[in-house]
Amino acid sequence: MPAMVEYIQTDSFFHRLNPITKILWTFAVLIISFLFNSPIPILVILLSNLLIALASGIIKQVLPMMKALFIFSFILILCQIFFVDEGKTLFYAIPYFNIGKVTDAGLNMSLVMSFRMVATVSTIPILMMTTPMTDMVVVLVEKLKIPFKYAFMFITALRFIPTLMGEIEQIMQAQMSRGYNSDTRNPFKKMVIVIPLAIPLLVSSIKKTEKMAISMEARGFASGPRSYFRKIVMGKADYAALVLLLTAILSPALL
Amino acid sequence: MIQIKGLSFLYNDSKEPALNNINLQIGEGEFVGIVGPTGAGKSTLALCLNGVIPHFLHGEFYGEVKVDGKDTVENDCARIAYSVGSVFQDPEAQIVSTRVEDEIAFGLENLNIPRIEIAARIKESLEMTGISDLRDYSTTQLSGGQKQRVAIASAIALRPKILVLDEPTSELDPKGSLDIFNTLQKLNKEYSITIVVIEQKIQLLTEYCSRLVVMEKGSVLLDGPTRNVLANQEILQKIGVNSSPVTRLAYMLKKEGLYQGEFPINVEEAYLVVSKVLSEKRR
Amino acid sequence: MIRLNNLCYQYKNGNKVLKNLNIHIKSGEFVAIIGQNGAGKTTLLKQLNGLLKPSQGTINVCGLDAAKTKTSILAKKIGFLFQNPDHQIFCATVYEEIAFGLKNLGISHEDIEGLVNRAAQRVGIDQYLKTDPFSLSKGQRQRVALASVLAMETDVLVLDEPTTGQDYSEGLEIMEIVKDLNKRGKTVIIVTHDMELVAQYAKRVIVLQKGSVLEDGPTEMVLGREESLALSNLQPPQAYLLAKKFHKQGFFKDVYRVEEMLDEIISYLDGEENACNG
Ligand SMILES: Nc1ncnc2c1ncn2[C@@H]1O[C@H](COP(=O)(O)OP(=O)(O)OP(=O)(O)O)[C@@H](O)[C@H]1O
Ligand SMILES: Nc1ncnc2c1ncn2[C@@H]1O[C@H](COP(=O)(O)OP(=O)(O)OP(=O)(O)O)[C@@H](O)[C@H]1O
Ligand SMILES: [Mg+2]
Ligand SMILES: [Mg+2]
Repeated sequence: MPAMVEYIQTDSFFHRLNPITKILWTFAVLIISFLFNSPIPILVILLSNLLIALASGIIKQVLPMMKALFIFSFILILCQIFFVDEGKTLFYAIPYFNIGKVTDAGLNMSLVMSFRMVATVSTIPILMMTTPMTDMVVVLVEKLKIPFKYAFMFITALRFIPTLMGEIEQIMQAQMSRGYNSDTRNPFKKMVIVIPLAIPLLVSSIKKTEKMAISMEARGFASGPRSYFRKIVMGKADYAALVLLLTAILSPALL
Repeated sequence: MIQIKGLSFLYNDSKEPALNNINLQIGEGEFVGIVGPTGAGKSTLALCLNGVIPHFLHGEFYGEVKVDGKDTVENDCARIAYSVGSVFQDPEAQIVSTRVEDEIAFGLENLNIPRIEIAARIKESLEMTGISDLRDYSTTQLSGGQKQRVAIASAIALRPKILVLDEPTSELDPKGSLDIFNTLQKLNKEYSITIVVIEQKIQLLTEYCSRLVVMEKGSVLLDGPTRNVLANQEILQKIGVNSSPVTRLAYMLKKEGLYQGEFPINVEEAYLVVSKVLSEKRR
Repeated sequence: MIRLNNLCYQYKNGNKVLKNLNIHIKSGEFVAIIGQNGAGKTTLLKQLNGLLKPSQGTINVCGLDAAKTKTSILAKKIGFLFQNPDHQIFCATVYEEIAFGLKNLGISHEDIEGLVNRAAQRVGIDQYLKTDPFSLSKGQRQRVALASVLAMETDVLVLDEPTTGQDYSEGLEIMEIVKDLNKRGKTVIIVTHDMELVAQYAKRVIVLQKGSVLEDGPTEMVLGREESLALSNLQPPQAYLLAKKFHKQGFFKDVYRVEEMLDEIISYLDGEENACNG
């Protein structure tokens, strides 16, 4: 199981959109999620992300990530919800002693925060899985005029986490193939297994990046003016999508 | 095309030099094979040709390496890349893109080749390496041999003056290996690209290379036209370098006192040799 | 020992890589799996130690249902060498790398040292025990990976291209070690593209073609199936091709190794001399 957030080749509507449109989409989701202050509209956006993932054929990869994000946001909520005092008290976490008050305002805020986080963060893996890295580099350089070297570094940085995950996976496969019980379901045991690996992992990931840098340099990377193979144009679908995004952003004002 | 004078190299924190006073002159259009046991310094030599040593891997570097007139110490890797195309020993670590097509385009884009030309070269190099159907594949979802073909395709697409390949067929099936050597031969003949290939499959080297270099323990042990080098069967057997089975057969026949003469390098030649042995005895 | 019934495997991206495999391997066999690049050899091996689980069909390995058993448990029965040594090596020194599997078998510290030394000696890397594996040449790393698998002395050895990057005599050395283990009763399953080695060592050959079994039988039989081999990008060994050229003239039976060829030539010549004398 290689890198988790890797480009996945299928032919879908979303795959075919211009990377710029998709980058704008991530920003639109961000803006809209912050424009609204009630959970329902943000939930709608979140569902729209899921719908996009489903239509792009990457739902299998996106769902576990969303799940992880929800668990993470749930922990964040637990840390905050009891400290909100205003609003009507709905219930207590431990009823008999009246400890852990939950108010309607608190619940509202928590839900908004949690949905917001999941909605905005989940756009990034969707973007990465539906857009080849090179396409992204091309638009960053040609359309947004970012110097090639920086654009490439930015993308590579985005890919570092997946590379690291791939590396963890690989080492764990090597370990269990030699009888080490790293294929446990228990997340805490898994932590105990992964933590001592932190240093060798980092070392081997860095070595891998180094080899990649060598390979890039040996093919004349950043040695002078550069051409681009991929020609990326805005199509009708892109303009339609942009109109849709604009309406979505303006809708809170209209409502 | 390639001039190596008194080259020695010692990796940082290692005791023995990986290369020990290497002297080699390789002319334009030569097709040179390098063989030797593991740890002989073959890869280290290849890394000196494309400037990875001394620019990326550090250690004590003595002597001089010039490729296409450029000194590898004075010119950085990217500059040398205009003259030297490389296939590294580990195909996996050299793939930088997520899609096969982009991987091949990567080097061409860096060298500022026009878009139309890039499209033509991608098509051609995919065909030459037999992976046209993998064009849209994600590079993480390939088998070992498929990755190796992608690495070779991206190097030959560049059509550099010099191609340095480090065990390019180690994970390829026999026909695939043969196809790669046919392709190299074609590049060598049609574009007079100088080719330096490290390879353990001696059958291929003997059939395709005009010159053979045998390395052992950081030094060049034998160097010369392929047949002359193969004539040193005793030395080759001693350091454990393979010969084709048919060459070995002739060597065994010689030891039995049944045959004198040149060593065959392929089945056709071996047929003549064995026929001769059989008929001589018959008379 | 190992039994696959109607086994199918499909990668997440929809690639159907293994199709309806029925393979039965008995204890103590020496099997070579060959086939062109992308045929599914590695994917098949990974089913054996549970790194990949079948999409359909059943797989039984040493009495365990490999579809349901964790790799770390199967590992006690099956030693697995990865195609690329860098997928396998993760320790800071060669010694630790070889010792890793032994520790998991619960072997005591004192015994481990002896076993590590012996395994390293066997594959000829004993001078590198304290070295960082990443500063070794690729062929040397391959041996480190092999040593770490061999040291565990599992009942079954599954080796994905164990001789890549080795020169001829080094490849032979490795195969001799494997042959020796096979003689002592270990089951060996090996993937390789080197037909000379297949001819010399394997007793049974399975040709995999686009995820299906194209040929399965004794080495001599399968290596003579030229059409099947050609279909799979493979070639019979040189000795076979050479001997065949003489068939028309009525010389030689089928041979697969040049050593056999030499014997044939000598016995032919002797026979001829005898004929003259008599
Ligand atoms: N990065 C490194 N740091 C230190 N020593 C190294 C490094 N890479 C290689 N060596 C050592 O240098 C010597 C030559 O290695 P090299 O990789 O050139 O061998 P090779 O002939 O290519 O072998 P192989 O056939 O196994 O690829 C070996 O003894 C090896 O251990
Ligand atoms: N992670 C993956 N996801 C999707 N498809 C894959 C993945 N790994 C391999 N494949 C595909 O499965 C097929 C079989 O791959 P496999 O690695 O089993 O081949 P192989 O017979 O070992 O080939 P080689 O000799 O090149 O190592 C190939 O076509 C490959 O593209
Ligand atoms: Mg090497
Ligand atoms: Mg494989």
